[in-house]
Amino acid sequence: MDAAAIPWWIWPIALFLVSFAIGIVAVLAGVGGGVLFVPIVGSLFPFHVDFVRGAGLLFALAGTLSAGPPLLRGGMASLRLVMPLALVGSIASFAGALVGLALASEVVNTALGVLIVGIAILIWRSRAADAPNVAADHLGALLRLEGEYHDPAAGLRIDWRTHRTLLGLGSFAAIGFIGGIFGLGAGFANVPALNLLMSAPLKVAVGSSGLVISVINSSAAWVYIHRGAVLPLIAVPSILGVMLGSRIGARMLGTTPASVVRRLVIVVMLVAGLRALAKGTGLWS
Amino acid sequence: MELTKNERELRELYARWLDRATKAGFAISLAAFLLYVGGVVPAFVPPAELPRYWALPVDRFIAATGAPQQWAWLPLLGYSDVLNLAAVALLALVTPLCYARLLPLLAAQREWLQLVLACAQVLVLVIAASGLLAGAG
Repeated sequence: MDAAAIPWWIWPIALFLVSFAIGIVAVLAGVGGGVLFVPIVGSLFPFHVDFVRGAGLLFALAGTLSAGPPLLRGGMASLRLVMPLALVGSIASFAGALVGLALASEVVNTALGVLIVGIAILIWRSRAADAPNVAADHLGALLRLEGEYHDPAAGLRIDWRTHRTLLGLGSFAAIGFIGGIFGLGAGFANVPALNLLMSAPLKVAVGSSGLVISVINSSAAWVYIHRGAVLPLIAVPSILGVMLGSRIGARMLGTTPASVVRRLVIVVMLVAGLRALAKGTGLWS
Repeated sequence: MELTKNERELRELYARWLDRATKAGFAISLAAFLLYVGGVVPAFVPPAELPRYWALPVDRFIAATGAPQQWAWLPLLGYSDVLNLAAVALLALVTPLCYARLLPLLAAQREWLQLVLACAQVLVLVIAASGLLAGAG
């Protein structure tokens, strides 16, 4: 069906519904949601990728802001862990957003497609680590990157600390830069960096990733706002949908089996990534 | 290790402010959006005309519609779409607001290293929001 023949008001309603669903899944999967939103909306909706990326950053921002309070109160997001990582990431993300808006849309779509398919494979292949009782490095000890949380699913109180702090900071700089370019929250990379690299327990990694995204995207979003790449008709229904969806997702986080969500996310990302790749290379526009 | 009283206090303060600011942002965004799509207040670019432009790259969209960049939208807040943009921009101010609220508590707790990190974060976000480095396309 020709997109031009569809009444304009159908699009914000469709965006709201898609964003609501992504909001639930994103929190459960520990991704910001932008990694689902940008390829899905960029592929299936008639908007230019510049506006999709602007909305994607705000989408991930709104979802993680909304999920933040319950995650913090449940001990699944640690401010102490988030502060240094988000500081580095927000500077890099701002730079990434400037680079991203200077690129041609074909380049962005192709690179986005490759990135999303790559991330889907990474998520598929990676295994979450249990919380090993690691010894903190000097910088981690100085920043006191440690804490505790109650896992309602396991009925246990888990004490944790992280290590490899410098590597972690470097990773968040790289992740923030890529997220800024593509308008993604980049939780797909935050969670493995926190869990596999720094050895934070998976649920702390997921919760803290959300809080990191809320800080990082606050920085990059301004680049898109100032450049005029935020269209309220696209951004606002997406924001409203994800804010409602992620609240529900955050409440389900303690009890939902992560493996089911993971499989769903991988399939959606593969489809959306291949579609973005086909669009970028002109195979299917 | 048990969470210290200071950390619980800090976490609760951030969560409370985040909760309130986000709910306020949600309510404002929803109200402004209803004004916009309901046609109650005139829009700078009416929603019915947007399908002609939304497939264009942002630079061509700006050239075709005359939509504002940087802070040029501030004097145009009487238009419902611009009002929506302001509501969206408020969401990008939630985090610096919450961080700024932590500063006096961190100082009172003598958490100097975290205080420096929080100050640096507020500075980064304020610079980003200022538009000084964003440039126009």
